[in-house]
Amino acid sequence: MSELAVQQQNLLHALFDGPAASAIKSGAAPAYSMSARGLKAYRANGHMRAERALLATYPVVAQLLGAESAAGLARTLWHVHPPSKGDLALWGDALPEFLADSAQLQEEPYLADVARVEWALHRCATAADADTDSSSLALLTTQDPDQLGLRLAPGCMVIRSPWPIVSILSAHQPDALSLENAGSELRAGVAQNIVVWRQGFRPMFREALPGEMDLLAHLLAGASLGAALDQSSGLDFTQWFPSAMASQLVLGVFVQNSSHR
Amino acid sequence: MNVGVGWRQPHYTTLLRQLPALDFLEVHSENFFACGGAALKVLEQGRAHYPVSLHGVALSLGSASGLDSSHLEQLAALVKRIDPVRVSDHASFARGMYKGKVVHASDLLPIPFTHKSLNLMCQHVDQVQARLQRPFMVENLSAYIAWEPSSTEVALQETDFLMALTRRTGCSLLIDVNNIYVNALNACKCLAADGQAQDPESVCRAWLDAIDPECVGEMHLAGHCHVNDEHGDIVIDDHGSQVCEAVWRLYGYAVQRFGALPTLIEWDTEIPTLDVLLGEADRARSMVAGLQAQASA
Repeated sequence: MSELAVQQQNLLHALFDGPAASAIKSGAAPAYSMSARGLKAYRANGHMRAERALLATYPVVAQLLGAESAAGLARTLWHVHPPSKGDLALWGDALPEFLADSAQLQEEPYLADVARVEWALHRCATAADADTDSSSLALLTTQDPDQLGLRLAPGCMVIRSPWPIVSILSAHQPDALSLENAGSELRAGVAQNIVVWRQGFRPMFREALPGEMDLLAHLLAGASLGAALDQSSGLDFTQWFPSAMASQLVLGVFVQNSSHR
Repeated sequence: MNVGVGWRQPHYTTLLRQLPALDFLEVHSENFFACGGAALKVLEQGRAHYPVSLHGVALSLGSASGLDSSHLEQLAALVKRIDPVRVSDHASFARGMYKGKVVHASDLLPIPFTHKSLNLMCQHVDQVQARLQRPFMVENLSAYIAWEPSSTEVALQETDFLMALTRRTGCSLLIDVNNIYVNALNACKCLAADGQAQDPESVCRAWLDAIDPECVGEMHLAGHCHVNDEHGDIVIDDHGSQVCEAVWRLYGYAVQRFGALPTLIEWDTEIPTLDVLLGEADRARSMVAGLQAQASA
């Protein structure tokens, strides 16, 4: 490793795991005797970015934890899982597992699943745009379902949870009326699976219908419509499909390559 | 006169509704790296009305770990999509090894002004220009620490470093006047503590005098703040207030030296109403017009 690489690595160590003095010893020399103050400025800047990024990506987790704890969590995550990319919107993906593994948060075991959904919503918001292709629907009447796939909305994801995550997320939206419903479902041990997708540019979520979770999971894994339907007992496809098209969860139909089937 | 403003999220819709008289909009490239979504659509709408300058904050041109090829590809895709009037980033690093992994500090960390560092920067700027197939601009930094060269290396002045970078790569300089002033304030503060008084504005004028006007392609203006807390006294380049009077005076000096170059008003924290931002742009425009009238008289 070059001397320059070592110097830079030492500065990154000083910023991410401190103490500031370690960088001074190893090459980041005092700038007009302000080195320690300067390093604190960089560390503070990193913390501020972490807090803003986490609040933007995980607003419900932040509400559940409270502002002070959320800011502390952001700073901790910054040090434990530093960004790997220059695009800060990609930072924070480690939070769900970090929450799941946190001994301090074992009394809020649903937090990790809430974070998983919020990360899915965050990524969904910037997924590649796609338009509805109504003309492709004719394929449903002319082709075998085993040869067809469904074109799902940008960022579509399904998440299984043993917790009432839909109710918890809904109760923390800006227009939510109360937390009462989510609280009683949590106490009753209600489990909810969730569908995440994008309607136009707006990330959406709702509880998965019976059988819908399996259908979408198989479609997302590349299964044909026929194969996915075989796995989705309890779902009335003839009722579900028009509604899925109307809500832009499904954008169209396509003929699969033989390799997909 | 060519004056633009940094276009940030709080002003997306207001600006598109008002369409004020501006010569260009500047955005941070990384905020539009995604494949799709609302922000990218808004940028395309802005591009339909104004030239757009793509200003990066995370390319990490001075990194000894090399450039992130996926970052460069995302920038290239955005350049292709937006057809910007200018593309730029900073003379800084952020990317490096930490606990066996490559991390990104998400900040503009200073680089040593040495020949080895210069060689690396030149290599990376060449790489960027080759990929983008267009000239690039590199901005001087506000830095809160400085590197001491090792015993085997000779330290360059920042201005010599930047001039050599432009000569060797053909890139141009984006001179941030506020950054020069912030660095001078911090340096003079410490010199004063050691009993060596120096005027920050004189330091900045000397810095500007050392730059060849032909190498400069754009100027930036922004606000800064003074922080005096339990950790000490420091000036931070926070882009969170109006341009201070000293920076306006230095801008006037820079315009007389470099000419009426494209000038950006940056405001990234504590973002004010659009009117306040446009007021700063008007002030830059009026100042340059006044200087030009003076010169022609």
